[in-house]
Amino acid sequence: MKTDELISLLSAGNRQVDTARLRRMTWLAGLAALVLTAAIVVMTIGARRDLSQAMLTLPVIAKFVFGASVAAISLTLFQRSLRPGLPTRRLLPLVAIPIGLVGAWAALTLFQAPPEQRTMLIVGRHWVDCLVYVPLFALCPLAILASLARHGAPVDRGLTSLLAGLASAGLAAVAYALHCPDDTVAFLATWYTAAVLIAAAFATVALPRLLRW
Amino acid sequence: MSLDELEAQLRPAFLAALAGDEAAYRSFLDAISMRLRGSLQRMLARAGRPDPSEAEDVLQETLLALHLSRHTYEPSSPVTAWAHAIARYKLVDHLRRTGRHVGNLPLDDEAYRLAAPESAAVDAHLDLSRALGAVPERTRRLIDHVKLQGASVRDAARDVGMTEIAAKVAIHRGLRAMARFLSRSESDKP
Repeated sequence: MKTDELISLLSAGNRQVDTARLRRMTWLAGLAALVLTAAIVVMTIGARRDLSQAMLTLPVIAKFVFGASVAAISLTLFQRSLRPGLPTRRLLPLVAIPIGLVGAWAALTLFQAPPEQRTMLIVGRHWVDCLVYVPLFALCPLAILASLARHGAPVDRGLTSLLAGLASAGLAAVAYALHCPDDTVAFLATWYTAAVLIAAAFATVALPRLLRW
Repeated sequence: MSLDELEAQLRPAFLAALAGDEAAYRSFLDAISMRLRGSLQRMLARAGRPDPSEAEDVLQETLLALHLSRHTYEPSSPVTAWAHAIARYKLVDHLRRTGRHVGNLPLDDEAYRLAAPESAAVDAHLDLSRALGAVPERTRRLIDHVKLQGASVRDAARDVGMTEIAAKVAIHRGLRAMARFLSRSESDKP
């Protein structure tokens, strides 16, 4: 087939195209993934019994805000990474903002706490659960975002995978916060961050092959 | 023509194309393919593959990818950067698939800026014609009508007994099947 013939064919097949749809689909997918993941958390490991009172305490609010902001920033960049030619990689440090803020806040609380309590504030009771459950539950949003990525044109598949991993981990962190019984900012800064990084690393290794187009 | 001038010429055409304007889309594709042909030939030559037919193959695959990815264009951004990013992705993918290392291929934007447009179309290898084999018979006839005889989609649709809308959908699906065929590695192709 000659290139000129191909151009005739493509222009004959032209129709109106909605460039905003990808953005709408990304937010919709994020929202759906959050609801689904939260439902899975509640049905499997269950919500904490004192959720209604705990929801109003600062460390628990911090968990939700932390996960939601990691997810929101990552989803925004994820959507950009599906559009060729937009410089997205250099915006990656934005994801570090919520992580850095929580880290600084945690350092402050540890500094003010009596030295003998510091280890307990960090380690908490259920750090292993956090490290296992958050990356595990992140698989659900990750599958949804991976199938969404196939509707875009990811020219930097490593970046798209990393951002899908970060966004999924953020959503899973929000969902896991419904269960998580450890209510210190130091715990959040340590284990939630570690869990997010584990999920992101997994996505970066596993996803790029699936995103070829 | 500088890249800025090209952008000034192409962006309005592409925005009109996104709104459904067929003629504007055609002029966009004509202009962008000249530009991409130049840069692809240059980059492939530097990678030690001076055969212009191979550049034509990658160009055709890129045009198909541009067409199927129109919805990923961000209207506030430069359309030349969008097209170039897709061409670069398809070139790297092509080199990997055909088993050469990508190594230190000069895929930087400079190579793109410096490349002179190349208007002389070269005969491609048979890649796209082979890809047509991945398309159902009736759609293939439709595609043949439109591309070879230059028929409008409406006329081609009447000839094969379809409505115009159904024909557009069938062509779109056919193009997607062709793009999928091309992105498979050689060994997986029938």
